[in-house]
Amino acid sequence: MVSYLATILIIMVIYILLAFSLDLQYGFTGLINFGLVGFFGVGAYTSALVTMNLGLPAWLSFPAAMLVAGLLSWPLGRIALRLRDDYLAIVTLGFSEIIRLVIVKEDWLTHGVQGISGIPRLWPNWSSSASELFLLCALITAAALTTLVMRRITQSPYGRTIQAIRDDEVAVIALGKDPSIFKTQVLVIGGAIAGLAGAFYAHYITYIVPDQFVPITTFYIWMAIIMGGVARLLGSISGAVLLVFLLEGTRFLRGYIPGVTDAGMASFQLGVIGVLLILFMRWRPQGLFGKRSAT
Amino acid sequence: MTFADFLNLALNGLVEGLLIALPALAVTLVHGLARFPNAATGDVVAAGGFGGYFTFNVTGSLLLAGLGGALVGALVSLAAYYLAFKAIMRRSVITLLLTSIGVGFFIRSVLGMSFGHELKMFSLPLTRAINFHGVLINPTDVQLAGVIVAVLAAVFVMLYVAPVGRMMRALADDPDLGRVSGIRKERVMVVMWSVTGAVCGIAGTVLGMRTTLAPEMGWTMLLPAFAAAVIGGLGNPVGAVAGAILLGVVQELSTPYVGFVYKIALGYVVMLLVLLVRPQGLFNRPQGVR
Repeated sequence: MVSYLATILIIMVIYILLAFSLDLQYGFTGLINFGLVGFFGVGAYTSALVTMNLGLPAWLSFPAAMLVAGLLSWPLGRIALRLRDDYLAIVTLGFSEIIRLVIVKEDWLTHGVQGISGIPRLWPNWSSSASELFLLCALITAAALTTLVMRRITQSPYGRTIQAIRDDEVAVIALGKDPSIFKTQVLVIGGAIAGLAGAFYAHYITYIVPDQFVPITTFYIWMAIIMGGVARLLGSISGAVLLVFLLEGTRFLRGYIPGVTDAGMASFQLGVIGVLLILFMRWRPQGLFGKRSAT
Repeated sequence: MTFADFLNLALNGLVEGLLIALPALAVTLVHGLARFPNAATGDVVAAGGFGGYFTFNVTGSLLLAGLGGALVGALVSLAAYYLAFKAIMRRSVITLLLTSIGVGFFIRSVLGMSFGHELKMFSLPLTRAINFHGVLINPTDVQLAGVIVAVLAAVFVMLYVAPVGRMMRALADDPDLGRVSGIRKERVMVVMWSVTGAVCGIAGTVLGMRTTLAPEMGWTMLLPAFAAAVIGGLGNPVGAVAGAILLGVVQELSTPYVGFVYKIALGYVVMLLVLLVRPQGLFNRPQGVR
């Protein structure tokens, strides 16, 4: 039971980190990123490979994961910043698929579709449950620090500028600021946060394959920030918590309905997410705690 | 690689491109009138595929299967318009886009729960490819390509000859001007959603006959369709078809050099390169941001 709770909490906090990343990009800056999972995956793979191939202690691989995922956001920014919303969505989605296909193909480094197994836990000498709890504590600390950083970013003059870019880009240009610099920075910071989440995920799950990094995860995170409310840190947190309850709840439901297969339940879960997404966008686009007026 | 190999790959790419052309055309038509990239397009393709499969199993006729697929696609597409999209038509792109993702999830979920996740196949007789001096031509492929070309021709006749097509293009060009000229937008919308749905349904049936059917097939089809529509320029029907064929041929011809995995990635890379050089797509004129 403790182990189950720890698992739920770890997944929840990883989702919170991912929701922060997306909220900084979409909620605060208005950048539509449909490729979030790509940076999550790059973080996971970087951290796993740095730990296993270079033999560095696990905790040293976290900054590496943030760095690589952040740097990879930069070329995306160069291409994407000239595009309208609809193009941006398609380009970022394609970008995350390119990342996944590179991971599949470059098997000399990533072991391709077989994935990487036996990624060391954060504290390999401890028993697995103690190590799990340690990882949870580290994860919560990281999330708390990220929350502070996010608060600093969004409540500073910098944060007002990126929100101004979201609301009226032309006005920001008229004030003599260059939105493309801010947008690129936001993409890089968001990418780094997603990379951090990926590093925790890799060291928790200890086994990663490319199939864990398919676009559905991106849309789960979109679902989370839409439910919780965009452009509010509380919204990201509550949205991620709700998302985990939703995903776990439908899994629990399975115990009460006889004769349902795993695949059938996964389909049902997908349908629930789909209908909720439609209903939220129609009736409450600002989410449960959002303050931004419906657009 | 001999010239015959080259031709084989190019012909195969042409067929693959034609298969993508139908959903790409649907994406671009929806974008022209409703102004958002419809992420449920692929799942309407899948729904149509299952509709065609069901009709085929009941009637045993390939022609009726195509019609059944078209009908199911059109109905699903219209239902999505009335139940999900209509009420939010005037909201932002991202609202519509996320709604379309929700619609796609829902369609996939219903397909998964009703038909299961095993791959389904049309039980068609196997055909032997005809060999012209090393160039292999599969009669089934020729027939399916013929069906696709016929459907494309019908849509373009509707767009450029029939009055409703002229109204569609007028609304896509300038919605306000279209409305003051007395075009009933609602009617045109209904025609557009039914036509794009039917096109997707036929695409699903054809795809099912050529390969296999699965509830997830729509999602794998969506990104190539998006890429083709973006390469041609969103909202440009000729561009979408040309983009799809270009993608199909380039991907197949590159396979001997880059392998099967990077063949898929190449499609997105071509899309990124086109956007870097011509952000409006290959076939669109530059335009201001709306």
